[in-house]
Amino acid sequence: MPPETVEIVRAPIDVAGLAAGLRRGEDGAVVVFEGIVRSHSGGRPTLYLEYEAYEAMALEQMRAIAREARALWPIDQIAIVHRLGRLEIGETSIAIVVTAAHRAPAFDACRHAIDRVKKGVAIWKREYFADGAVWVEGEILER
Amino acid sequence: MRVRVLFFGRVKEIVGKAEETADVEDGADLGSLFHSYARRFPQLAAMERSTVLARNQKLAGRSEFLTDGDEVAFLPPVSGGMNRC
Repeated sequence: MPPETVEIVRAPIDVAGLAAGLRRGEDGAVVVFEGIVRSHSGGRPTLYLEYEAYEAMALEQMRAIAREARALWPIDQIAIVHRLGRLEIGETSIAIVVTAAHRAPAFDACRHAIDRVKKGVAIWKREYFADGAVWVEGEILER
Repeated sequence: MRVRVLFFGRVKEIVGKAEETADVEDGADLGSLFHSYARRFPQLAAMERSTVLARNQKLAGRSEFLTDGDEVAFLPPVSGGMNRC
């Protein structure tokens, strides 16, 4: 796989396959992060979520985050995959895999990447509850 | 001039569509385009401070001028990644 992989998908993310595809002989560490749909939000039970994206922008923003992670830490490869559409409780909305020779930069780069995705990618989540639905408004995008 | 305007998230819900073509005057900027929608949709006007605009897939300021054929997007605060902890 290329050193920076970013994807937007509409089917369940094969996280194990993604990690298996990234690891190479020179890696001593593989860090896998999965963001999963929680059963409750703000005290209310969630029925399901839907994600949508301004895809062209989101992909470019994710690519920039992946490039930045490799520039800031001595890691080998990074993959960021975000899923769109309807997601049920427990499903994976985002997977980030980082490989490196050593674990410290792999953990740091992965943490940084998910923090950056949450703040700076053109993706929106709608939460569906028993009594209605709400678009979750998180961070204002910054130039 | 004609520009394509895309709406996402809460903004899409307020405007009632994902995209449309808009006719704008020569010399119009992103701010005037946003205001033309804000006048029609008070709930959008209420989101003025938190709605970011993009022009041709790059974040842009309100004073950026439009050109014919531009793709503009109204972007509410994002919520990608996973749930809030």
